Amino acid sequence: MNFEALEVVGTKERDRQAKLQGRIFCCTSTACMSAGAGQVHTMLDQAVAVSQSDEFETEVVKTGCMGLCSHGPVVRAEEKDKAAALYGNVNPELAQQIVSRHFPVEEALEEIDSDEPDQSVTPHDIPHFRASLRKAQAKTELDKNIISLEDPFFTKQVRVVLSDTGRIDPDRLEDYLAHGGYQGLAKVLETMTPEEVCTEILESGLRGRGGAGFPSGIKWNFVRQEEAEQKFVIVNGDEGDPGAYMDRTIMEADPHRVLEGMMICAYAVGADYGYLYIRGEYPMAIERIRNAIRAARRHGVLGNKVLGTDFSFKADVRIGAGAFVCGEETALIHSVEGKRGMPRIRPPYPSKSGLWSAPTVINNVETMANVPSIIQNGATWYADIGTEKSKGTKVFALTGHLRNTGLIEVPMGITLREIVYDIGGGIPGDKEFKAAQTGGPSGGCIPAEYLDTPVDYESLTELGSIMGSGGLVIIDDSTTMPDFAKFFMDFCVDESCGKCLPCRVGTVQISKLLDKLISGEGQPEDLDKLDELCQMVQTTSLCGLGQSAPNPVLSTLKYFREEYDTLVQSPETVEAGVK
Amino acid sequence: MTLTQSNTIEQKEVFLELTIDGQTVQTRPGSTVMEAALANNIDIPRLCYHPELSVSGGCRLCVVNVEGYPNPTPSCGLACEDGMSIQTQNEELFQTRREIIDLFVAEHPLDCVTCDKAGSCQLQKYAYEHNIKETSHAFELPRTLYQDDNPFFVRDHQYCILCGRCVRVCDEVVGAHAIDFAGRGFECHIATPFDGPMKDSACVFCGNCVQVCPTAALNPVSRMGKGREWELERIKTICGYCGVGCQLEYALKDGEILYAQATSDGPVNGEMLCTKGRYGWDFATDPQRLTSPMLRRDVAYEMGLTKEDWTLPEESPLKVRKPNIEDSFVPVDWDTALDLVADKLADTVKEYGPDSVMGLASARCTNEENYLFQKLFRLGIGTNNLDHCARL
Repeated sequence: MNFEALEVVGTKERDRQAKLQGRIFCCTSTACMSAGAGQVHTMLDQAVAVSQSDEFETEVVKTGCMGLCSHGPVVRAEEKDKAAALYGNVNPELAQQIVSRHFPVEEALEEIDSDEPDQSVTPHDIPHFRASLRKAQAKTELDKNIISLEDPFFTKQVRVVLSDTGRIDPDRLEDYLAHGGYQGLAKVLETMTPEEVCTEILESGLRGRGGAGFPSGIKWNFVRQEEAEQKFVIVNGDEGDPGAYMDRTIMEADPHRVLEGMMICAYAVGADYGYLYIRGEYPMAIERIRNAIRAARRHGVLGNKVLGTDFSFKADVRIGAGAFVCGEETALIHSVEGKRGMPRIRPPYPSKSGLWSAPTVINNVETMANVPSIIQNGATWYADIGTEKSKGTKVFALTGHLRNTGLIEVPMGITLREIVYDIGGGIPGDKEFKAAQTGGPSGGCIPAEYLDTPVDYESLTELGSIMGSGGLVIIDDSTTMPDFAKFFMDFCVDESCGKCLPCRVGTVQISKLLDKLISGEGQPEDLDKLDELCQMVQTTSLCGLGQSAPNPVLSTLKYFREEYDTLVQSPETVEAGVK
Repeated sequence: MTLTQSNTIEQKEVFLELTIDGQTVQTRPGSTVMEAALANNIDIPRLCYHPELSVSGGCRLCVVNVEGYPNPTPSCGLACEDGMSIQTQNEELFQTRREIIDLFVAEHPLDCVTCDKAGSCQLQKYAYEHNIKETSHAFELPRTLYQDDNPFFVRDHQYCILCGRCVRVCDEVVGAHAIDFAGRGFECHIATPFDGPMKDSACVFCGNCVQVCPTAALNPVSRMGKGREWELERIKTICGYCGVGCQLEYALKDGEILYAQATSDGPVNGEMLCTKGRYGWDFATDPQRLTSPMLRRDVAYEMGLTKEDWTLPEESPLKVRKPNIEDSFVPVDWDTALDLVADKLADTVKEYGPDSVMGLASARCTNEENYLFQKLFRLGIGTNNLDHCARL
């Protein structure tokens, strides 16, 4: 298939969608599925099938995440030339009502007596089902499930990576093409040299979204300049931070975007083989990426002579076995090679000697997903979003004590206050905001007095936290910080690979000290010891996991010292003060 | 094709110059700071580093200060650069290392008074040098397995510091890859596949893991409880098992060999040995060991070397179980034995021609000896009837 043929497929799909009277989008991401979206989707499918008449064409699209995970399952109904309506907490009964409200059943063939709607997910008795749908039309309980699209949760977001998420069927390449998919790849292959691509990415200011924030353009250029017969691209989908699910969602909702970014990267650095390293706990993401690879291969987008050009690229999936440390690039490389995932000393960096000693680019899923948009819209467009040093947007998994939790994409430089109070809808109940924890077990806690800090790489690092991969946990004042720090410390104790001493033994000792403090047996000098031990682990550990493991303790020690002090004086006081 | 002129490329040796502890040091590009320091007799504390193995960087003990670097950096994985200035000893580094050893002994028992490895244990050495009497942290043993499932070495996990030297030597030098890290965090330990017995793994029992182990986690069975390091007499010798000629060192107490090990200055084998060299030394003190040539008693009687005659039994000697060698053989000196063999060989060749004899060489001889042997047969005797035991 060449560029024109690709265009034709996209246009055809666009025309088909334009002809439809309406479309119902049902979120089938992991979060909504666990809330029962599977049944909702089947019900929608059945109801639409039954209510369809010849001149009335509707389809049900199963999409990836729409963002508002706390209100799942989420369904969006779009009628032709009308504003879309979004419904939250949908169950099969409400699904019937949604269909009958937007796409009413013309006539009931048979009157039925029962007031109970037919909730069987596979209706054998179609007339009965139609009647039930007709009855549902009259009901109004659906109104309280309507979510306003004017809510700050949506209006404050800027969606670049997530622009198609929740709007396309992740299992259909045609749908992605209809939304401008693979245009970036086509542009790169047709009009740009690898060097130009690297420059474009560099000028866009895109920085690694895995947490460290290394400029991607520089990384790509390193690999491009290496002279080697074989180079690799690896997409890091081993998202291990507790509470973070940005990469999972992107892979589930828009797998082709990740593939496209990966291929643009491969073209830029001169690689012809790539691996998507996905953690085994994400079966749906693995399945959808695999489907995407198959579809892309079938359409000639992936494989030998991509779209009729001289560029060839093959992609493969590698599944992680549940080690947190495999998110570290050298450990990940070992894992892809089939070895035990343990980090190694750097340099040499993977850009010089990576997978099987070949120069390798490793980028996070979100970083790769940014690439197609940058190429399509240009570096300047992207650089206009965000702050001076942190460009573009960042996807966060917003969790914790908030009214709205879910997946959000915000421009860099937005303040924490906007995220917490506008997008997140504030703290529920009569509780107060206490701290925001960014970056998972590698990050730190940011107290209320820094709520107006812009969220970008530099500002967060200055506060002793990190941008991290995008986990953002909001804590209210019912949480005691030493307990909170202990949770993350225990996570690091369990996930330490055992290779280097400070991380393996140091984290255990920090955890023991925290235990001692929390149980009320701590002495004032234990606090100094805790601080010293944290500093030591931070400066002497081998990889990023160990170096950042003490961050939750250090940052809570810095901002919530009084809680630790009270523990040392009298544990009962702090308990009483908080609860 | 004729070469009209010699096309050797004049290769200029490139050297990097760096300063380590004020001493100017020259080294080849690609070498690490650790290598450069050790080559110049600058000792940097180290536990996971081993010169014959790849770099791990796990123990963090070899940290040094590099001018312009914010944090202390491990020297084992640090590539030398021209003009680098490095400090391997100062108060700050001493404290960092002290804290690291403090953490090591938080999970390593300090029962050195009864430990076989005392005296050659690296951790003990560094704990002494950094004045660590006991850990300042909460002591807890994460690994307590004691595995004596094979006759060669004991794996006592409580002493293991997870330096990974054994894993690397097994993978990189031996090629068996019988052991690797297993488990995460506190449960991390060195294991065979599925923690099965050693004999069910790919282990060839060469014991090179025992050789490189810095602590008492791996110890030869033969030495357990038999003597402290400083009581042992050491004899350097060449292994007699094959023509390679590995250098090894026996550690003896009261004339009894306790264990064999290789020494780093062995020109052929360095610190590595095979199963036979390392564990197959019990023949040395065996009462049945032959220490001189033996001549068959009837031949010796004919030559007047013994007063007792003996006749070859009709039954094949192979069928006699445990023959007493003293009945049928007489010890003689080398000259007698070699003269007799030479005479008999010459007689046979004269009477029946050179092709009536054949020579069989031994793999225990060196290449040079084997070469001379075939020379003797091909030129001296004039036969091609020649073979080598390694071909059988």
